[in-house]
Amino acid sequence: MERRHGIEVENLVREFKKGPRAVDGVSLSVSPGEVYGFLGPNGAGKSTTVLILTTLLPPTSGTARVAGYDIVKEGSGVRSAIGAALQEAALDPFLTGREHMNLQSSLHGLPRKERKVRGDELLERVGLSEAANRRVRGYSGGMKRRLDLALALVHRSEILFLDEPTTGLDPQSRSALWDEVNRLARDDGVTVFLTTQYLEEADMLADRVAIIDEGKIVAEDTPEALKAEIGRPSVEATPVDFKELDAVSNVLGRFGGTVPASSGSAAVRLERGDLADVVRALDTEGVKVMNLQLNSPSLDDVFLEKTGRSLEGSGGGEEDEA
Amino acid sequence: MKALFSVAFAVAGRQLRRFFGNITFLAPAAFPVFFFAAFAGGLSRVGEVPRFEFAAGYTAFTFVWALLQAVAMGGAFTGFAIAGDFENGFARRFLIAAPNRGGIILGYVFASLVRTTFTGSLVFIVGILAGMEILGSGVDVFGLIGLALIVNVAATLFGCGVAMLLRTQQAGPLIQTPIFMLLFLAPVYVPLELLEGWLQTVAPLNPLTAIITTGRSFIAGDPTGVGAAFLTAVSLVAILLAWAYFGLRSAERSG
Repeated sequence: MERRHGIEVENLVREFKKGPRAVDGVSLSVSPGEVYGFLGPNGAGKSTTVLILTTLLPPTSGTARVAGYDIVKEGSGVRSAIGAALQEAALDPFLTGREHMNLQSSLHGLPRKERKVRGDELLERVGLSEAANRRVRGYSGGMKRRLDLALALVHRSEILFLDEPTTGLDPQSRSALWDEVNRLARDDGVTVFLTTQYLEEADMLADRVAIIDEGKIVAEDTPEALKAEIGRPSVEATPVDFKELDAVSNVLGRFGGTVPASSGSAAVRLERGDLADVVRALDTEGVKVMNLQLNSPSLDDVFLEKTGRSLEGSGGGEEDEA
Repeated sequence: MKALFSVAFAVAGRQLRRFFGNITFLAPAAFPVFFFAAFAGGLSRVGEVPRFEFAAGYTAFTFVWALLQAVAMGGAFTGFAIAGDFENGFARRFLIAAPNRGGIILGYVFASLVRTTFTGSLVFIVGILAGMEILGSGVDVFGLIGLALIVNVAATLFGCGVAMLLRTQQAGPLIQTPIFMLLFLAPVYVPLELLEGWLQTVAPLNPLTAIITTGRSFIAGDPTGVGAAFLTAVSLVAILLAWAYFGLRSAERSG
């Protein structure tokens, strides 16, 4: 199948009655075959954007084309081209996994002969072949997510929307889902629009990342470019004696501005000198530290830089321990 | 058009799998059977009042109302199921996957028709076991069944509209009450001519009155007002189809 269209969004707005603008002038462009990460804290407008782009919610204003179709005027075309796994997997507890596959392929009008083949193929791919004839009410959270992903792929969708697909999953299920998303983009050329509040997820999967806060995109680029904008790493030190935290802060303060740190620690963005200079300064002042680490800039730093706040639900950044 | 039917068959298939996959599917059938047994048995002496003339007897007279109640309540129960689908989020699967969302309404209607065939047949069997006389021909009986199916479609579309508008199972009473009111504001126990007081004024305005009266004439083998009854029933379907689409549009707007 030739894939020529991605997602084009211009000045998208969604206002709710008596509420703030959930989406406030979002513009973005996703190329065919790209994995686009939409990163932001809870309530930032990620899911509302997905609901609009998947034609589940009309925009208040603005335009968007998904797979070449206008989301307002050509909703039917959009729905034929996309697959979506939303935050709450819409599954019927009384149906089996196989029955769900059959239902979904029927909704998309797949020929009867193809339904079973396609259903079995996808159930196997997401590791649910053995559980296929069990009712979904007995599935774990990870199994439900994987089934939801399989359902989104049943009609060979051109564009896949994944709304916080790994929230609540154990590390093993999360890793398996990441592998599958990577495979879809790499091998099948599927365009993936992925929302997440996990930095690690955006970093791992996305070709480009948009950071959204309070309905607005505050930054957009490749993860590497965004982190390069921050430039310098941060250094975090934990004193042996908690009473010496102020002394540690004072020493670190000579090297740059304060940034959020873990409890019992102090941290600064390294604007002057390097880690060796920090070690020497601490030694000169006679402050003993039990942990000193140099943190490369993370997407959380980017978020902090752009919004003045740290991202909730952070999955951690890249770390170099000293 | 292909997409419309693909979606409709998918929605109907899932509804029926759920319906027949649980023993509780017998519950909706119990109501009309209970009403029929109560009215035909407890009120049988009503058939002996002066000017009450119904050739097929009081059991058959009550049966037609019980049958229409069964099919109308079948539509209401489908409405409850739709409201449940919206409340628990499953309806999103339909909305996001259905190229033609009109097929969602059609699918619920198909499922309701199958379901009502089951409950209606049960009422028929109970009626025959209760000694109901059918004086009408096979064509007359098909006329009655035709009317019953159209009433089921109308009730389903009404329930569908309310369920999609409110998207909560708390919409149940709002689906059930108007249907019950229409059923009871028709000539339930005696013919229209014997009604008195305010009910005598209201009943002729009730669209179900024409349908019930013609239904009874079918079973008595003396069809009367057939054109008007079918026209009324089809008009109800047309109006309630617009209502169901109104509900669907509301659901689409709310996400």
